[in-house]
Amino acid sequence: MRELTVRLGAGLLAGCAAFLFSFSAVEAEDRPRVVAVNAPLQYFAARLLDEGAEVEFPVPDGVDPSFWRPTIADISRIQGADLILLNGAGFATWIDRVSLPRSRLVNASAALKDRFIVTESITHSHGEGGEHSHEGLASYLWLDPLLAVAQAEAVAAALTRKGLAPGDAVAARLAALRADLEALDDAAAAALEGAGDVTMIATHPRYHYLARRYGLSISALEWEAGAMPSPEDLATLEGLVTQTGAKVLIWEAAPPAGAFAATEALGLQNVVFDPLARSEGPFIEGFAASVEALAAAVRAVAAN
Amino acid sequence: MIRAFALAAIGIVAPLSAAAHQLVVFASVDCEAVTVEAKFSNGKVAQLGDVRVLDGLNNLVLRLKLERDGTARVPLADVDHTGGLVIEVETGDHDNYWIVTPEDIARKCGS
Repeated sequence: MRELTVRLGAGLLAGCAAFLFSFSAVEAEDRPRVVAVNAPLQYFAARLLDEGAEVEFPVPDGVDPSFWRPTIADISRIQGADLILLNGAGFATWIDRVSLPRSRLVNASAALKDRFIVTESITHSHGEGGEHSHEGLASYLWLDPLLAVAQAEAVAAALTRKGLAPGDAVAARLAALRADLEALDDAAAAALEGAGDVTMIATHPRYHYLARRYGLSISALEWEAGAMPSPEDLATLEGLVTQTGAKVLIWEAAPPAGAFAATEALGLQNVVFDPLARSEGPFIEGFAASVEALAAAVRAVAAN
Repeated sequence: MIRAFALAAIGIVAPLSAAAHQLVVFASVDCEAVTVEAKFSNGKVAQLGDVRVLDGLNNLVLRLKLERDGTARVPLADVDHTGGLVIEVETGDHDNYWIVTPEDIARKCGS
C-alpha cells in the first residue's frame, strides 16, 4: 500500500512536472523570438525586452561567431525569427550565404558607417589577376561603449517598430542601458588614462575601436585564440616587439600553460582581454573586467 | 590615434572579414531547380569550378562543374532536398557556400 502511495505520488509529481514543462515550452514558443549574431547584441536586446521575448545567440560554444558556418537547421530556425539583429561592418560572414527575410533584418550599425575603421589590406594573388589586395572593416564596434550605445539605440528602435515590446517600456530600459554604457565608458577612460604611452600588441586584430576610443597604440598579430604560439609565431612577435617597442601583449583568450612565460621572456606583460563577441557573461561586467586587467598591465609596465 | 595594424608590413595573412573572401556564391530556387551563380568579388565570373551539393544530413548527393558563365543548375528531382541543401563551390584558390533551407524551397513552390 505504501509502495502504491509512493508510486502514485511520484506519478502525480511527474505529471505536474510534464504539464508545467509543456506549459513553459508553449509559453516560450508563443513569445516573440529575436536572433542576434553576437553576444553584445543579444545582451542589448535582452535588456531592452526584459522577459518579453526569447533572445537567441545561435553560435555553438567554442566557435568564433565571425566565421561560424551554420547548418541548414540553424538557418531554418533563424529564418523563422521575428527579428534578426546583424552587427554590420562585415561581421558574421554566414549572413551573406543564406536567404534572410529582409523585412525582419536590422543592421545595428547602419547609422555608424562614417565611424567604421578600414583595416589594412591583405596582399595576395589568384587566377590571372596578379597580386592585389583587399580592404576590410574592423567589426568589433561594441569595444567602444559609445558605439555600443548607438547599436543599442538601433536595436531599441527596431524592437519598438516591430511591436515586440511597448515603446515606453523599451525607452525606459534603453535609458538605463545607455547610462550603464556611458558609465562604463567613463570608467574605462579613467582606468586607461595615459595608457597610450605604452605600446601594445594584440594576438588577434580585434581592438581597433577600443584603441581609437581610449587613445591606445596597438599592433596586431593573427594568432589563433587560445592556442599555444609556435616558435615561428614567437619569432614574429619578437620582431614586432623590436619594431614597435611594445610592452604589453593582449590575448583574446587565455593560452595554454607556458605561453605567458614565453612572451614574458620577450619583456611583455600579458593580459587577457575578452573581445566579448561570444561572451557568456553580462557585457558590462565583462568589459569592465577586461579594461581593469589591461589597466593593471599598463601599471605593471610603469612600475618596472 | 590608433596605430595602423601592421599586417601587410610584417607579412601576416589575416582573414579580416567577408570582404577579404574572394568567391561569392549565390543560389536561387524555383520549384524545379536550384540555380547556382559563382563570381569573384571583383565582378568576374568564375568560369571554372567544382560544385558539391550536400543534403540536410551533410551527405554529398551531387557533383557538378560550373558552366563557363559561372552558373550550375541542380535539378531538384535529382536530389533529396527535403532537409534542405548546401551548395559548395570551389575554384581551386577559393571556395564558398550557400545554404538552401526546406523553407526556401517551399516558399518558391507556393506551399
